[in-house]
Amino acid sequence: MSTIADRLIEDEGLRRGVSRLTPEKIEKVFKELIAGECGARLKTYVESCVRCGMCAKACHYYMSHKDPSYTPVAKVSQTMWRLLAAGGRVEPQVIYECAQVAYTECNLCRRCIHYCPLGIDTGYIISVVRRLCHKLGVTPQYIQDTAHSHSAVLNQMWVKDDEWPDTLQWQEEEAREEFPGLRIPLDVEGADFMYSVIAPEPKFRTQLIYQAAAIFNAAGLNWTMPATPGWDNSNMAMFTGDSEIMSRVERAHYETAQRLRVKRIVMGECGHAFRAVYDVANRWLGWKWHPVPVVHSVEFFWELIQQGRIKITHKYADPVTIHDPCNIIRGRGLMDKLREVTHFLCENVVEMSPNREHNYCCCAGGGVINCGPPFKNVRIVGNSIKAEQLRATGVHTLVAPCHNCHGGLEDIISKFGLGMHTKFLGDLIYELMEKPEAE
Amino acid sequence: MHALYDLAVGPLAWLAFGVFIIGSVYRLLAMRALALRKDGAFVAYVSWPHAFKSLAHWFTPFGALGWRENPGVTIATFIFHICLFLVPLFLMGHIVLFDTFRGWSWPALPDGAADVLAIVVVVICAYFLWRRLSVPEVRFVTSAQDVLVVSLVGLTFLTGVLAYHRIGDNLVLTTLHILSGEAMLVAIPFTRLSHMLFGVFSRGYIASEFGSVRHAKDW
Amino acid sequence: MKRRTTPLALVAFVAALLLALPALSQQDMTTVPDEAFKTRTRPPALFKHDEHNEKAKLDDCTACHHGEKDGKRDPGADTSGIPCSDCHAVEAKPGRTPLMRAFHKQCLGCHMTQKKGPVTCGDCHKPVK
Repeated sequence: MSTIADRLIEDEGLRRGVSRLTPEKIEKVFKELIAGECGARLKTYVESCVRCGMCAKACHYYMSHKDPSYTPVAKVSQTMWRLLAAGGRVEPQVIYECAQVAYTECNLCRRCIHYCPLGIDTGYIISVVRRLCHKLGVTPQYIQDTAHSHSAVLNQMWVKDDEWPDTLQWQEEEAREEFPGLRIPLDVEGADFMYSVIAPEPKFRTQLIYQAAAIFNAAGLNWTMPATPGWDNSNMAMFTGDSEIMSRVERAHYETAQRLRVKRIVMGECGHAFRAVYDVANRWLGWKWHPVPVVHSVEFFWELIQQGRIKITHKYADPVTIHDPCNIIRGRGLMDKLREVTHFLCENVVEMSPNREHNYCCCAGGGVINCGPPFKNVRIVGNSIKAEQLRATGVHTLVAPCHNCHGGLEDIISKFGLGMHTKFLGDLIYELMEKPEAE
Repeated sequence: MHALYDLAVGPLAWLAFGVFIIGSVYRLLAMRALALRKDGAFVAYVSWPHAFKSLAHWFTPFGALGWRENPGVTIATFIFHICLFLVPLFLMGHIVLFDTFRGWSWPALPDGAADVLAIVVVVICAYFLWRRLSVPEVRFVTSAQDVLVVSLVGLTFLTGVLAYHRIGDNLVLTTLHILSGEAMLVAIPFTRLSHMLFGVFSRGYIASEFGSVRHAKDW
Repeated sequence: MKRRTTPLALVAFVAALLLALPALSQQDMTTVPDEAFKTRTRPPALFKHDEHNEKAKLDDCTACHHGEKDGKRDPGADTSGIPCSDCHAVEAKPGRTPLMRAFHKQCLGCHMTQKKGPVTCGDCHKPVK
């Protein structure tokens, strides 16, 4: 049977990382990690897993390849069990293999939790493997670059401190052509909410900031965006296993909101960012819940619709289908609100199957897409099951309120010739809404 | 053989029960202590109402996605585990031993029913072994321990069935049956069989995370 | 003539049979008597009385046919001939030994202490050959 060793992909970051390792060094770091950061969860999971293989069908990689080495349990057996069995004393090449499995063959989507009777959290185990790889300095080059960026400028895309307000003002200027009274309020203390986005938005998807501003403007909201670092809610360090940088980024994010004394943080349509802010970094920082309430766009749009603040001129006529992003569905239970918003905006919604909490992953999340070109083909081919699922709906518009999902789904759509295009809820709202001031 | 039988029903039986009970309690308490010491940021989210709700789904055949997607394993797993508890606890032969030597007695299953259920366990053990060796995704992750524990359970029930039907030397088979049963009890706290102890807690924990933090079902 | 002698002979035969019954029943006994049980879950335990006692070198009847004093087993009294179920009811009152337990204790208990004789379920409860 084939294993990870039979499909290794050259990555400069991984190669350079393992070249610096020795079995002794690996053993030392591994033992420190297990003793220092792991506890009952890892021990219980590793010990009580009965190797029944029921989780196989949970994973889009397995469902696409039908190769037993891609099942959730196989990914754990090729990484954590192997390391534990050797007490961490393994050849550097093994770490290369562990890293490729952990960073590029698992999206941490947690679908397998719906398959394991014992409730084993494979995503957690794989995160521990990533943590080890990070500590050993064996991380894929592309995602490590984003983590470095987080470390240096507190955002993912090397956006300089002055480029950020510059970009916002540029978008404000553009939008004022359409909506003369529109503002993108910077650093307004005491605003109702701080809107935060991921760094790719100012970098190359400025249209999304424009749209958000237009929607908030039409709804007459009291909002703000920070003018300082701390504006980026994305967090690739969370996925490289760099918990220290992860928590620095989130701390800056929370503290920026606190500095602005906003009532809450509204996050753009991104899934992993929400996971970091809502579910992960707060724990590392010692917060059981968040120091500032955190709301995802899906829920926020839902509220605005409930309050009658979003008015649309007409409904989107073409049939659409909904992709449920793992981090806000399995991670936040927004499936009903996502549907209510979509049904509010669209005439005809065709559900894909399975959906809601049971939806297949886009295969881009969990940092996998961020590992860059070397692994691109694997993640696209590794999600033919998603392509089949999309094709079966027979529709041409796909609503996906998550950046990573967009990236992954667009790749699948073009590879498998599905003839679909993806939309954010913001895209739809902007397209359909009444634009009172518009000229 | 007579001496070995005496040993098996006497001191070894108490030893096995002792190791099983004390071992299980120890493992549970030690794991709890470890969780409190090292997983505090996760134990904090434990929510029993969510745990029970999820467990109710997982204890129902086809009540969770994983069960529905693996119908064969699901049917086998449920029947297997029900018989695994029902047969040993309510078998006439076992109750008679307690009745004779301890004066404890409780209602027994009819012998014929217990016989059928025990044979079912043996057949399902064979099915599990077959899966281990032939289904690729199971074989890929199978280790010696996995084969061993299923075999141990299968052997216990097989020798029990043979002894009941008086196939082979009754003393030899009964002794073997008792010894393998005792080995199984001793193995529970220290092998994969510990999923009997930890399973509800690992499920309950993740159910709490899903229920109270993520507001999504985990079944 | 014929008509008169036949009933007479029959009566004499029955009387002789009744007198000889205890001895006869022990000689012919192949299983532990299980008539008292309403439902039988297993075949009656094989037990050839005389053969067993010969083999076990048992002369003292009270080894099994014991009496009872103050709720305790009294080895001083010989209760041969009294059916076990007369004292050991199938559904015994609290503090008394029910019939099944009495049988199991009697046979299995002794076989365990003597380290001789059958001890497994299937070595006693099997069809008479």
